[in-house]
Formats: sequence, structure tokens, C-alpha cells
Amino acid sequence: MFKIESKNVDFFYGSSQALKNINIAIKPNTVTALIGPSGCGKSTYLRLFNRMNDLIDNTKITGQILIDGEDIYAKGVNVDSLRKKVGMVFQKPNPFPKTIFENVAYGLRVNGISDKKFIEERVETSIKQVALWEEVKDKLKKSAFELSGGQQQRLCIARALAIQPSVILMDEPTSALDPISTSKVEELIYELKSKYTIVIVTHNMQQAGRVSDTTAFFYMGELIEYDNTKNIFTHPKIERTQNYITGRFG
Amino acid sequence: MKTFYKKFLEKFIEGLLMLSGTVTTLTVVLIVFFLFKEGIGVFNKKPVEEGYVIAVNNKNPINKLSSEQIKNIYDQKITNWKILGAPTDSIILFRLEDVSNYYSDAEIGENFEGLPICISLLTDSLPNIIAFFPEKYIDKNFKGKQLEIDKVKLSEFLTGKEWFPTAQPAAQLGVMPLILGTLWVSLGAILLALPLGLAASVYMSEIANEKIRRIMKPLIELLAGIPSVVYGFFGLVIIVPLIQTTFDLPVGETGLAGSIILGIMALPTIITISEDAMRNTPRAMKEASLALGASKWQTIYKVVIPYSISGITAGAILGIGRAIGETMAVLMVTGNAAVIPHSILEPVRTIPATIAAELGEAPNGGLHFQALFALGCILFLITLFINLTVEFISNRNKYNKH
Repeated sequence: MFKIESKNVDFFYGSSQALKNINIAIKPNTVTALIGPSGCGKSTYLRLFNRMNDLIDNTKITGQILIDGEDIYAKGVNVDSLRKKVGMVFQKPNPFPKTIFENVAYGLRVNGISDKKFIEERVETSIKQVALWEEVKDKLKKSAFELSGGQQQRLCIARALAIQPSVILMDEPTSALDPISTSKVEELIYELKSKYTIVIVTHNMQQAGRVSDTTAFFYMGELIEYDNTKNIFTHPKIERTQNYITGRFG
Repeated sequence: MKTFYKKFLEKFIEGLLMLSGTVTTLTVVLIVFFLFKEGIGVFNKKPVEEGYVIAVNNKNPINKLSSEQIKNIYDQKITNWKILGAPTDSIILFRLEDVSNYYSDAEIGENFEGLPICISLLTDSLPNIIAFFPEKYIDKNFKGKQLEIDKVKLSEFLTGKEWFPTAQPAAQLGVMPLILGTLWVSLGAILLALPLGLAASVYMSEIANEKIRRIMKPLIELLAGIPSVVYGFFGLVIIVPLIQTTFDLPVGETGLAGSIILGIMALPTIITISEDAMRNTPRAMKEASLALGASKWQTIYKVVIPYSISGITAGAILGIGRAIGETMAVLMVTGNAAVIPHSILEPVRTIPATIAAELGEAPNGGLHFQALFALGCILFLITLFINLTVEFISNRNKYNKH
């Protein structure tokens, strides 16, 4: 049984085709890295899993994306509930202009939870999950903007975890962070794997190699190769993958 | 040689730019200086028309009357000296034209040469008299007593409830009804315009698609370009009769009509500024909210509006600013009664409308003229305060968003 399946997915921005016939199946509790040069469609593809591209006018998708066996683009699908199940972490830390506590509690509140004690507990567990608790436990009422970039990004991950999704999408989550913060986030991804299915877009080859179980290489809107990370990095079957990974283009 | 020429040209342009900056700044300072110089002048004047005196019998113990007391005496609201603390009885009013009731034309003389003596005798003979007449008719041996008149006081000016700048013999310069009228109409305007403007800007920035927005936005901005006299005309022809029939009033020219017109006029300011603020909400912020399962509406009121609240406030305050300073449209629809309003269905008069309506008939440099400038100062201070508030709010917000 696969957690996420993508069958013959085509995606269009207006009349230009951004993704061509993508077929991927992702197992639960794995980390999948999407790699490829800028503009290859990997972020667009990631944003299909929580229907984030719906926000962009004049886009069209064909084919099927199944999460837990259900077509998320079928008619009558509740997008808000889908997004509760499929959390997302963005490229730049984007906390709300609210307190640290309220940032993490936000997802619970918008989903209709008002039990104060429950929210407090959930906020605490979520922040502990991202190993930020010790750093922020005394300033939960302070603005989230007072945290450093790395702390903000971990807070954003905690925010995504608080509503207990089963899939977490990460769109270049460390591209705006320094090396120390980056390694903290990477450790975190590794730990989260036991509970969540993670799909991560990254520009950083080493990162893909370090954190992911499987890797998909995209080029010009096409899926060139999809395999175990180990195979992709050691014995890529396709020459273009090899060239990209070894840095000959990209 | 070429470098010298280039340097000279640069210096020249630099000087030109500095000059225009200086001239602009100086103009502003000059206008404000002129406004306050004229406005403050009113507090150096007596509320009785220049060249006139008020006199009583010599035995009358009263030396001083306020302009309000004088007005009440001549309006016959005070008819007895005892109310004012003098022992004598009912007041006898005397104006210059009353002189023929007491003296024959022969006594007065063809060219009024006997008039000073007549007045002098009359004030002496009638213990209850109060006389108001031109200074030039005071006899050399005047037997009556000239009353001292207080200068206009700032506190009376601000708290006075009556505005009769041309009243004889004593002008009433109480600006309270005008200030309240202005604030009343503006408050009504903002109460009408804010919900509507906010709804429209949320719709345009978050809900409407690009096509609708491209039609709506220029149209709303066009609203700001319509001359205010046209708004006034529209109000007079459409809104005033509508209010009159709806509320079954004797006249439709009310504070409400002014509020509606000003509300419409404030809308483009409110909408464009708050819409810009909302559109400036980072996309990442909205996406973060939606990605957490928040609905579109939840995202609007939990993220977009809080994020752009300072812009919305600025828009609202600038909208009020426009409403407070607006003259023509209000002049045309509010009925212009200088009384303290008790409901929105009564005529009111605003500060700008008063200045516009009365400045033409006020003699240059006179009491009335300067009182209108003092009103201008009050208006200036109100709008200055509003602009400083906007500045403060937007600065505070820059700090918040760092």
C-alpha cells in the first residue's frame, strides 16, 4: 500500500505545460526528495499534494493524485480537510505576526478546537517534537519574529505538526538557513520519518543524499528517474541524472 | 574646461532643487503663520462692533458685562437689572434709532449735531437705561458711564454654545456647535463608510478575480475625482428628499444627509488604502494559513486583516480627514443651523461650511473675519492631529514588521 500515488499527472499554467506525465508511488514513513534544476517543476509538483496550486488562477491538472487511496482532485473533496492531513513547510520561514504560542495553536484554532488545556498540551508536544521547547518555553507570549531564522523554521514545522498531519511537504525548507540550523532541521526530518510521510524539495544534493530514502529527479517538467536514493546517487540509470548529480549541469 | 562646465552645471541644478524645496517649505510655513496670526487676532478684540459703545446710568453699580449678558439684555431675555446684581429695576433698552421717541427732530438737529447731548441727558435721566450707540456721539461731558467690555476669551470661544458673529450689539462667538457639528457629521460618515469600504476592499483584494478587479478599482478611484460640488448637488437632489420622506421630516437637510455624502466621498480613500495594505500581505503568510487547513474566510480575518490593520486604520483616518475638511458638499446638504445637534436628523453646521458661507460677508480684518480664521486654526489643528495619528500608526507598524 502506498501513501501517495501520482498517476499520469499533467499540469498546465495557462497553455504552458509545467509537468508531463508524472508517475510516482511513495511508501508511508519514508522521505522522498524531489531534485532537479530550477524551473524543472519540482515545487509545482510538491504543491499539487495539498492543492496549493488551486490558489493560482488559470491552472489545470489532469491525471490522478491519490493519498491513502483517495483521489484528492475528485469532485466533492474538502480541500481544508485535505490540507489538515497534508502539512506544508515553506522555503522561507513564514511565521504569522503573532506570538510563538499562537503560531503553533493557529492550526488547531482554525479547525474549531477551543479546549484551552488541549491546545496548550498540543502546542507543547509539537514544539518539543522540533526540539525548540528549551529555547522558547519562557517566551511563548513573545512575537515569533523575535526568533532566529532557524528557530522560526522549526517553529513553522511545529505549526505544521500541531494539527497532526500524516504527510508533510517541505519546499526547500533549509534554503534560507545557516549550516547549523540546516543540520538541526535535517536531524528533525530524520526523526519525523517514523511518524510521517515526508516529501522534500531540495536544491542541495548532499541534503537529498543525507535525509531521503527515495529520490526523484525532474528535468524540464519530466520525471527522469525515480529510485532509491542510494541507487540514484551511486548507479543512476540515466546519464542526465548522473550529469546533474555530479554537477555537470544544473 | 569640460569638467569645470559639468561641475558648474551640477552645482546649478543642485541649487535649483534646493531652491524649490525651500520655497515649498516656506510657503507652507507662511500659510500656517498667516492663518494663526489672523486667527489669534480675534482674542485681542472686543465682541462689540468697533466704534460703538455701551453705556449705563452713572449710578448703576455695574461696570462690566459679558457679551452673552449684553445679548440677553437686548434679546429681552434679561429684563431686570436685579438679575445682574444691580438695585435698579426693569431695564430700558436704548438703540440709536430710539432717540426720536425721546427728543424732537429739532433737538437732535438736522445733521445730528444735538445727538451727543441728547444721549448724555437721557442716560443721566433714566436710571434703568442701557444705551448702545456709536462712539462719535459721545458728548465731551458725557454724564453716563461707559461699560467695560471683556475681550474675547479662548475658553468662551471654545465652549460657547452660540454662534452669532454678526449679532448687534454684541457678537456671540461660541464655536462649540460648529466643532460638534463637524465631528458629528464626520463620525456618521465614518460609521457608514468604514464597514462598506472594508467589505469592498476585502472583496477586491481577496475574492474578486483579476478581471473584475481591473474594472472595479479604476471606477472606485474615479469616485475620488468627482468634484465635491457634484456630490453636493447629488445629495441635494437625491438624498435630501429621500431623508425627508423616509423620516417624515420638515426638512431633509440634516446631519445624516451630510454623513451619507461624506461617507461616499471617504470611500475611495478607505478602499484604495486598505486594499493596498491587504494586497501587501505576503503570499507566504496566506499560504501558511491555508496549508494549515484554514478556510479562505478564516485566512482573511485571522491573517490578512490583522496583518494589514495599520493600513486599514490609516485609510480610515485619512478618510475621516477628508470628511472633516470637506466644504462644498456639506454646505449644500446639512442645513447649516449653528446649533448643538441632538440627533442625526437635525440640521447641523460644520466648520468648513461656516468659513465658506460667511467669509464673503465678513469685513476684512474685523472681528467676524478673524473669528473665521480662528475657526480655520481649529480645523487645521484637528486635521494635523489626524495626520500625526496616521504617521504614528504606520511608524509603529514598521517596527512591528521589522
